[in-house]
Amino acid sequence: MTTDVIAKQDNGESPFARRSRPGETVIRGLLFICGAVSIATTAGILYELGKESLLFFQDDRVSLWGFLTTTVWQPQVGGFGIWPLILGTMLISIIAMLVAVPIGLLSAIYLSEYASQRVRSVLKPVLEVLVGIPTVVYGFFALTFMTPLLRGVFGTSTVGFFNVASAGIVVGILVVPLISSLSEDALAAVPDSLRQGAYALGASKLDVSVRVVVPAALSGIAAGFVVAMSRAVGETMVVTLAAGASPRNFSLGQDSLFGYILNPFGSAQAMTGYVAITANGDLSYNTVDYNSIFAIGLTLFFMTLGLNSLSRRFVKRFRQEYE
Amino acid sequence: MRSETTDQTERRMNESPEQKVTIATEGFIPAEPTAEAVMRIKGMDVYYGDFRAVKEVSIDFARNEITALIGPSGCGKSTVLRSLNRMNDLIPTARVEGSVFFHDRDIYEAGVDPVEVRRRVGMVFQKPNPFPKSIYENVAWGARINGFKGKRGELDDLVEHALTQAALWDEVKDKLSDSGYSLSGGQQQRLCIARAVAPSPEVLLMDEPCSALDPIATLRIEELMMTLKQDYTIIIVTHNMQQAGRVSDRTAFFSVDVDDRGQRTGKLVEFDATDKIFTSPGQKETEDYITGRFG
Amino acid sequence: MSVDAPERRLADRFPTDDEYQTLLDTRTRRARLFQMACLLALTVAVVALITLVYTIVNDSFGLVAVVNQNEPADVVADLGYDPAQVTLSELGYDELVGLLEATVSSGVGRRLEREQRFYPDRLVFEPDDSWVELCASEEPAVGCNSGPRDQANVLALVQERVIRPDIIATNQLVPSIFDPEGFEAAIAAGFEAGRFPDYELGQVGIEWRAWFNPTFLNTPSSATPEIAGIRTAILGSAWLVAITILFAVPVGVGAAIYLVEYARPSRFNEFIQTNIYNLAGVPSIIYGMLGLAILVRGLEPLTSGAIFTQGVPPSDNGRTILAAGVTLGLLTLPVVIISAQEALKAVPNSLRQAAMGLGATKWQTVRSQVIPVALPGVLTGAILAVARAIGETAPLILVGAASFITVDPTGPFSKFTALPIQIFQWTSFPQEEFRKIAAAASLALLILLLILNAAAVILRNRYARKA
Repeated sequence: MTTDVIAKQDNGESPFARRSRPGETVIRGLLFICGAVSIATTAGILYELGKESLLFFQDDRVSLWGFLTTTVWQPQVGGFGIWPLILGTMLISIIAMLVAVPIGLLSAIYLSEYASQRVRSVLKPVLEVLVGIPTVVYGFFALTFMTPLLRGVFGTSTVGFFNVASAGIVVGILVVPLISSLSEDALAAVPDSLRQGAYALGASKLDVSVRVVVPAALSGIAAGFVVAMSRAVGETMVVTLAAGASPRNFSLGQDSLFGYILNPFGSAQAMTGYVAITANGDLSYNTVDYNSIFAIGLTLFFMTLGLNSLSRRFVKRFRQEYE
Repeated sequence: MRSETTDQTERRMNESPEQKVTIATEGFIPAEPTAEAVMRIKGMDVYYGDFRAVKEVSIDFARNEITALIGPSGCGKSTVLRSLNRMNDLIPTARVEGSVFFHDRDIYEAGVDPVEVRRRVGMVFQKPNPFPKSIYENVAWGARINGFKGKRGELDDLVEHALTQAALWDEVKDKLSDSGYSLSGGQQQRLCIARAVAPSPEVLLMDEPCSALDPIATLRIEELMMTLKQDYTIIIVTHNMQQAGRVSDRTAFFSVDVDDRGQRTGKLVEFDATDKIFTSPGQKETEDYITGRFG
Repeated sequence: MSVDAPERRLADRFPTDDEYQTLLDTRTRRARLFQMACLLALTVAVVALITLVYTIVNDSFGLVAVVNQNEPADVVADLGYDPAQVTLSELGYDELVGLLEATVSSGVGRRLEREQRFYPDRLVFEPDDSWVELCASEEPAVGCNSGPRDQANVLALVQERVIRPDIIATNQLVPSIFDPEGFEAAIAAGFEAGRFPDYELGQVGIEWRAWFNPTFLNTPSSATPEIAGIRTAILGSAWLVAITILFAVPVGVGAAIYLVEYARPSRFNEFIQTNIYNLAGVPSIIYGMLGLAILVRGLEPLTSGAIFTQGVPPSDNGRTILAAGVTLGLLTLPVVIISAQEALKAVPNSLRQAAMGLGATKWQTVRSQVIPVALPGVLTGAILAVARAIGETAPLILVGAASFITVDPTGPFSKFTALPIQIFQWTSFPQEEFRKIAAAASLALLILLLILNAAAVILRNRYARKA
């Protein structure tokens, strides 16, 4: 009888008893530690940024209120308002988006709705190359090509040698693949049956693309926009080389809004540029300058964190519609 | 009506003056366009690249009748249907030879814009495919892009009228701004029907409209078709023989020829009044299919 | 047809055939314009890419106007040869060394010999006994233990020390090809305008210069752009990449294995996953700040190598290759994890179930069934992540890449520079010649990245075909 075969083992234990496997536990532990490194990284970032920022605000010359509300950043005279640096970052990022959104979205529509499979398989990787080029090379490009171009077109008296427009346009070119790639994936995920239904009603290709497919893919496309914006905000090398090395201090009401504050052809320093330039110089620990870069870094961290979370929410909504 | 004998049906058909539709079988091409046929296919072949999917089809579709295209799978019924509104153009390798007449204009003539054809020949698909818009927008969209000139109030009337024709108005009249996806499968298909009739086409093509629906929803749509045919000419592809028998006035039976290379080309075997096809078909192939001996 | 009053009214509201035709024409025209606009956008993007590469190549080659302190022809003639028959590079090794002997000061000569000897069997500048003493001391010179120089090496030295070229003007590639006379005219005009007060027009030679050439890759950095090269930077980047790979790939792949194979769905593991996505989107400069605060400053004993040696630490502060490499490793870690996760998830579940069904433990299944199948994808992801790390500049600035360094790195505790940092530096200088070598260095970096990406694509395709 088969029950006779299931006899006890020699050591008296039942044959299916769970064997202890210490090797498995060790390996599992090691792998868990690898996963925990990522948590340690975030903890480290928050801790260090927070600690140094705290030291920054504890300095007599600095106040949190002043940091958040004044519009002059000039440490030598005690100006520690963050707004000039945010202004620089925002000007560059907005110019970048103005460049990247039309180019990226229209390219995506062309690749998704008009181009043949062969053309798409060639051009899509070509666009991807744009985002793989190191940003320092883009900085070189901004200084040696874009700035002279702008100065040639608009005149050297209008356009300064360091200007926000040059950096902004080049950052825009840099992030085009982020928009085009994500938008194209979103457009491709729209089921073909929707296009067929629209064609059958007598719609032209333009009607179908712009009035049916793009609205259907909207949350996926929006996710791409937000990712591109986040990348533009965090970009360092292009803005350091081409945009300027001193903050655009301003005062609302006194300075002309379009002639100075929002002037794209003037120079301005971005948050990332400030951190890079300050760290590149002689920097001793425990000075106000040293601590200030962490305060700026903390602000930058929260800005990009917010943008990235927003984009992930868009992606989740998009996935819910089509999966 | 269906209890008449076959002979009586034939006589009735040959005597009635209104319904002068020429019946075409394989290879037979009518001599001249018949006045009451809204659309005519004349000697049409459809190719995908080098592969001939359908050969030498000729059918007349009579006004305000339901014509069913039946046959086993892979015999080209959907291909024939989609050549009626030039939807095959969307497939890059597709090519049509022969003619398809809408009234007396060949829609495959050079200079004809397929967009214009689709304004007059609407389509309902196998799986309901409403737009991710509100119910109102789904119905209004087709009218809008085709140049509907009315003011807002008139557009509201149009939407109501289309939804009423699709027997959906009572169920959605209070929730027109809800998404089209909030409806059940059968309701979505009726929404697609409303969407298709809103731009006032003359012909309505239906590609297996009930195959994705449950039997009760199917029945409702079949009832709907009987009402719709008063205003539109309907051409329906269906896998379901009994459905063809229930709703259609005329039936075209397709089958497949396999050549020595193994290529399957669809062909029209027989086209006649539905009663005749189902009770005394002229071709043996038709009889075998009807009685279930193959397919 | 049953047409009731509302329907007839509505039917009127549709365009007549003529109106529809006009409408259709407008719509068709608009559709064509839109299609052209989309194509235009795509073209702009591609043109931007081409323009960027063109700008770099254009600056990497071209005519230069150069004044040599000692003309090569004169130098060759002084040795007794006919300059029309013999060029500088054809001179014998001994003659080249003789030139150096005759030109450089003894101090400079001894320094050169200590860096690398000229002959294996005899000394040129250093007296024999002091050399022996030098090599026997606690810190022998580098030249004590390395091989002698070769022809190319000494020729470069002769160029640098004897010929001493000074480039006074440069020209870009395309104008050099299509309008060389324009450059000559511009030089002449420059002399008339008094832009070159140190020289005469007759001293100027116009020659082709490939700023990007094999010597460029093998020459250390220098304050003089004419003779500067990127060897120091390339070696620095190589060390950095090695440390980045050693850190990020095992940890990243380990984390990916844990998350895909071992972790049960729970709030905590969900949190780890979200955290990784967040980290992948954090700007690189913030990783630099993390590296600065924790690795360079906080862990200075570790990163400067102090805890590994008694006595003098290899580095006097934490700004070493080790700190920079780990920083870059942390930067690439999220990307490696995410791409490794994708590769692991792509392994069909049936494989795991078959192995488990045979009684294999989890680790046995993962090690012998899952990992081999996922390996190509994991490697591709790692290569791409590393390619990204090579181009990063901002974190290195924060972590303290040296602004000017000419000595090759020797270990993880060396001071260092890297290729992108070098490009950054040279781009910031206004002189034309620095622009040229910045372009040449950019070209080198782009070629390197091209090779890496091509390797990744080939790897992916080869294994995709196998599967």
